[in-house]
Amino acid sequence: MGLSELLSTYGQDYLTALLTTWWMTAVAFAFVMVLSIAVTVMRVSPLRPLRLVGDFYVQVFRNIPGVALLIIIVYALPNLRVVLDYSTCVIVTVILMGSAFGSENFMSGINTIGVGQIEAARSLGLTFTQIIWKIVIPQALRSAVLPMTNLLIAVMLSTSLGSQVPMSPDELTGVVSFINTRSTGGILAFLIAALGYVGTAAVIGFVGNRLDKKVRILR
Amino acid sequence: MSNHAKPLSIRDALYEQPGPRTRRRVAIGTAVSAVLALIGIGLIVRQFYITGQLAPRYWTFLAQPTTWLYLLQGFRGTVSVALTSGVLALILGLLLMLGRTSGIKPLSAVCRVVTDFFRGVPSLLLIYFFFLVVPQYGIKLSSFWMITLPVTLAASGVLAEVMRAGVNAVPRGQVEAAMSLGMRPARIMFKIVLPQAIRFVIPSLISQLVVVVKDTTVAYVVSYPDLMQNARVLITNYDALVSMYFTVAIIYILLNYAINKLSGFVAERMGVKIIR
Repeated sequence: MGLSELLSTYGQDYLTALLTTWWMTAVAFAFVMVLSIAVTVMRVSPLRPLRLVGDFYVQVFRNIPGVALLIIIVYALPNLRVVLDYSTCVIVTVILMGSAFGSENFMSGINTIGVGQIEAARSLGLTFTQIIWKIVIPQALRSAVLPMTNLLIAVMLSTSLGSQVPMSPDELTGVVSFINTRSTGGILAFLIAALGYVGTAAVIGFVGNRLDKKVRILR
Repeated sequence: MSNHAKPLSIRDALYEQPGPRTRRRVAIGTAVSAVLALIGIGLIVRQFYITGQLAPRYWTFLAQPTTWLYLLQGFRGTVSVALTSGVLALILGLLLMLGRTSGIKPLSAVCRVVTDFFRGVPSLLLIYFFFLVVPQYGIKLSSFWMITLPVTLAASGVLAEVMRAGVNAVPRGQVEAAMSLGMRPARIMFKIVLPQAIRFVIPSLISQLVVVVKDTTVAYVVSYPDLMQNARVLITNYDALVSMYFTVAIIYILLNYAINKLSGFVAERMGVKIIR
């Protein structure tokens, strides 16, 4: 199949798939950010049970393979009377995994601050709230820009899990398997989808790098 | 506060020594959150119970040695794919990194494009490429290579970048000193830069094995008998979906947790940081 034939037959499918991938990525990443902040707050709280739950959450979801988690959510949860539609299943999987890594990014952002700064702030008479808002959060956010850029790309790549369940419309990986099971799309059919991913990743990476250069703290 | 045996973690440094009132509040908060956590666990167990998933018929097959032998067989499949991919990706990643840092413009550009391509494409797409597209050109691959090759390619891009970070971590002055001694670039790379660079990134390379293990779980797409695929077979045999999937997930989590711990341990011993 040539490029023009491929695009005239499946061009619309590719476009819808690319938009679906973008949409899923955006929704998932928004939730990932909220959930990572919540988990991180739990992990730095002075309450031991909350810390344990937060640490446990991160260890489970950063170590579970995406497919295993997706299969559990799609096939096992209905047996426990939790039924979600397919695209929600994929997004939930991506959110759970992404937020574990997101919380790790925030934690290492907090860890780079150094105990000395906290002690210095306290000796200047800053209250706990002031320390958190004026010292910890600004620095943690700044040093988390680059890791979060990489996380956004990882979130986009993991939406390809959508190809493992019947979704409509398909996302970018699903559409390649759809096309190749119907006709011999050849290497081109694959390259078009790959270009969608690589292009998006390049744009995200570029913006992230620029932002990082602007806000990075030189040490 | 100064004579702590262990360096104070930032988590604890955030809080002052609590006074009596704060201590009481923390105690209450701890109790309340512990109760909430227990209630959460209780609700999950209750959901298992009321849907009948705790019935013995779903769990007794886990007591049979044959189940574990079969899972072990699958586990061996997982390990052989992961290790083969890991080794191949290490070689390919090293070549890509050497090409990119070679200073030969066209070669460096090609290696850069290849690296970014494999880093920017989901491994599932690569797996579909080897499963659906490659056979269209009359190339027959066994199911082992159909899963190993895409996982290798996906990992090689990341490993190339990790190793490049290691090369960049070698002080520039050493390269300059070697050049002033009249060493050739290739010799400088292999005798001076690379040995140190590899040392810097060993823990990062170990932690990348987690990604490789995760990628192998889609082996069922090409019906290669890995841990996940064998678990699926057991599920159809015993009709015990929930218990089996949870068991397999726990095995994967423990395996990856162990790899991460090993990487952290090695990093601590060698005094280097893990690059992700």
